[in-house]
Amino acid sequence: MKKQSVFSRLTNPKYIMVYATIGIFLIIYAFGAFLYGDKGFMTVRTFVNLFIDNAYFGISAVGMTMVLITGGIDLSVGAVASLTGMFIAYGTSVLNLHPLTCIFAALVMGVSLGLLMGWVIHYLKVPAFITTLTGMFFARGVCSLISRESIDIKHEFIDSLASWKIYLMKYVDGNWVRIKPIAFINFNVILFVIMIIIGTFILQKTRFGRNIYAIGGNEQSASLMGLPVGRTKILVYGFNGLCSVLAGISYALYVKSGWNLSLQGGELEVITCAVIGGTLLTGGVGYMIGTLFGVLLKSVIPALITFNGNLLSWWGKIATGLLLLLFICIQRFVVTSSKLKKA
Amino acid sequence: MQNVLEMKGISIEFPGVKALDNVDFSLRAGEIHSLLGENGAGKSTLIKCLTGVNRKDSGKIFLDGHEINPTDPGNAIDLGISTVFQEVNLCPNLSVAENIFAGRQPMKHGGINWREINSRASELMSRFHLDIDVTRPLSYYSTAIQQMTSIARAVDIQAKILILDEPTSSLDENEVQLLFDVMRDLRSQGMGIIFITHFLDQIYAVSDRMTILRNGHLIGTYNIDELTKFELVTKMVGKDMDVIFNLKRAEVADDSEFMLKAEHIGNASTINDISVSIKKGELLGFAGLLGSGRTETAQMLFGVNRISHGNITLEDHEIILKQPFDAIKFRIAFCPEDRKRDGIIGDLSIRENIMLAVQSREGFMKPMSHQEQVTLANKYIKLLGIATPDCEKKAGELSGGNQQKVILARWMAAEPKVLILDEPTRGIDIGAKAEIQRLMLEMCGSGVSVIFISSELDEIIRCSNRIVIMRDRAKVAEVDGANCTQNDILKIIAEGAA
Repeated sequence: MKKQSVFSRLTNPKYIMVYATIGIFLIIYAFGAFLYGDKGFMTVRTFVNLFIDNAYFGISAVGMTMVLITGGIDLSVGAVASLTGMFIAYGTSVLNLHPLTCIFAALVMGVSLGLLMGWVIHYLKVPAFITTLTGMFFARGVCSLISRESIDIKHEFIDSLASWKIYLMKYVDGNWVRIKPIAFINFNVILFVIMIIIGTFILQKTRFGRNIYAIGGNEQSASLMGLPVGRTKILVYGFNGLCSVLAGISYALYVKSGWNLSLQGGELEVITCAVIGGTLLTGGVGYMIGTLFGVLLKSVIPALITFNGNLLSWWGKIATGLLLLLFICIQRFVVTSSKLKKA
Repeated sequence: MQNVLEMKGISIEFPGVKALDNVDFSLRAGEIHSLLGENGAGKSTLIKCLTGVNRKDSGKIFLDGHEINPTDPGNAIDLGISTVFQEVNLCPNLSVAENIFAGRQPMKHGGINWREINSRASELMSRFHLDIDVTRPLSYYSTAIQQMTSIARAVDIQAKILILDEPTSSLDENEVQLLFDVMRDLRSQGMGIIFITHFLDQIYAVSDRMTILRNGHLIGTYNIDELTKFELVTKMVGKDMDVIFNLKRAEVADDSEFMLKAEHIGNASTINDISVSIKKGELLGFAGLLGSGRTETAQMLFGVNRISHGNITLEDHEIILKQPFDAIKFRIAFCPEDRKRDGIIGDLSIRENIMLAVQSREGFMKPMSHQEQVTLANKYIKLLGIATPDCEKKAGELSGGNQQKVILARWMAAEPKVLILDEPTRGIDIGAKAEIQRLMLEMCGSGVSVIFISSELDEIIRCSNRIVIMRDRAKVAEVDGANCTQNDILKIIAEGAA
């Protein structure tokens, strides 16, 4: 076999989108460092906070990336995450259940809703957009059915899980001391990182993951190649349901309450993370590492605005919009140029 | 020799059409068996029934003496039936290596062993003398390599039966020989191979036996030396060759006026400088290898590629083509090369497909009534002999030759002055080819100027008044169609000058 040089492996055209994401993240980060380096933009704390404040989007983006790679879409994730919060809040505060019981119920709900939507999409051939829109209305409706008021989550298990943290330390003069300014990672960050690792493993190291790519590349071909198209699609939506519930748990830990209108539009934020992470909306292309940077890229903008202090937070939305536009243009360009090369 | 596969009394019915009617087929271990027939004869349907894509309505399939009922392609692969389908059926976003091993990746420590996939894929491809980077996405490579990849996949599955449905359509002569070597190799290992192609020479070069289908019926199974090429074609078409190709060149008087004249047109990205002209009622052939600039020239004349210099005159008036819509307004019509991608809209009915060009010329402010559309569509269905129960059938469900006729009908309905046909006969069978050629010549007879692009020199010579020969994105010669031979043209293409 021809031995591949590291260079030729790295210049494989399939990584272009991921490079673009990482590159733009680094540019924006360097920009922030240049402007607000003296205010502490370069500290570990700022960086870790990007994870803490956006872990729930990131967890959901793991499942969304897979759905998008199959060429589908899932609009129900925000509502399902919100419903998970309602399960935990209502279950612990009103029904006096243990949070783990509520979480278990939420997992059953989220995964079965996902599997059901996947089944409808594949076997009834209803477009994913419509199916998951229905799922979104259903989940949001159940939220409001449970309660139309925000419910605080007060349970020692949740409190301890939410406040559990590992301080980042450094070694100074023979002693471990907390770094200054103090930075820590919590349960949400760990869950996010673990989900990214699991997602990477599924996509890169399992047949199931590779079938996801094959379906996104050409569903008909995948079926003619003898790949289990139906099973794969249904499981992807099921897995995405799982991710939505985990994101809901993570959000509940972050805000410690359940509200029927929370995370409205969250599904779009999640899709944005995946897309600026290099996942093609037409399917077939996407990497977990890209999604990770997509989440960081989307969250570094509000951080910059906070550091500036004078800009209205809406500028964040505008910047995110521009970023999304930029990435869709890059995608278009990559797709067209690869077609031109073939002709 | 023992039969590895037996299909008995297979019938399949599609809405309105009996695709297969009581067909028997048998395949021995260690033979290459050609399956022949015109498009729509039922070859692909038979294959799809065997691979579980289509369900049979009646009949039985025996593999090694046991009855089987393949439910889907995955199931067929498990049973030992491996297939290379007609269109490249792989995933463009996956690497070459992965396309070969998708669904049966070797595993190691609970994860996919990429190292082994890549090294085994490299080995397989080198068997086809292809030294390529198998980790790059499939879309990065040419159609020929993609086709080789799908063959490599099918071969590596190590099935009992290998089905090759038009595997050679985008391969060059050397690659075809390599494929034949691999096929002979597999045959000697005892594999049964079903081979479908519309290149008759290839059938004689490689097969042991052949089975002929026509209109869903079995005509017969023969040893390769039992039939001459001529007899074979007669059996396939059901008519004599001479009758089919009894075509007469369009008659153009020397002094008849020019319909379209393009002088020194070109642009930076495709062709720099080319001049062509065509008279009223004339058929102008474009010969040259794939990529020699034939299609690009046609696209300039239709406004797909904008020209940056030179001018185009239509009946002595200069015209400016910025987009295809302008060309349609000037009654220039263009049937693109890839009918699946650029021509036919498979989800629309035959009627809607035919109406497209007319409607676009008339403008959407002047809709035609449904009744008018049906009348017009039916007129062309009858005129062109499109095989369909009615004009509301989806165009995507037609066979290749019939799809091509629908595209032709679309432009005939638009009453063009200049009709450009890019490879209108590619991938369709002899009978349909002859019909398309006859229709082209009939259009010339009614005063339409036809530009005919084709890779098959015999049909270019048979039909054209004049032939433009392209090479390396430039026009190298123009010859008279009536007084030239295939060798003349080949020589010009090879040597680059008249």
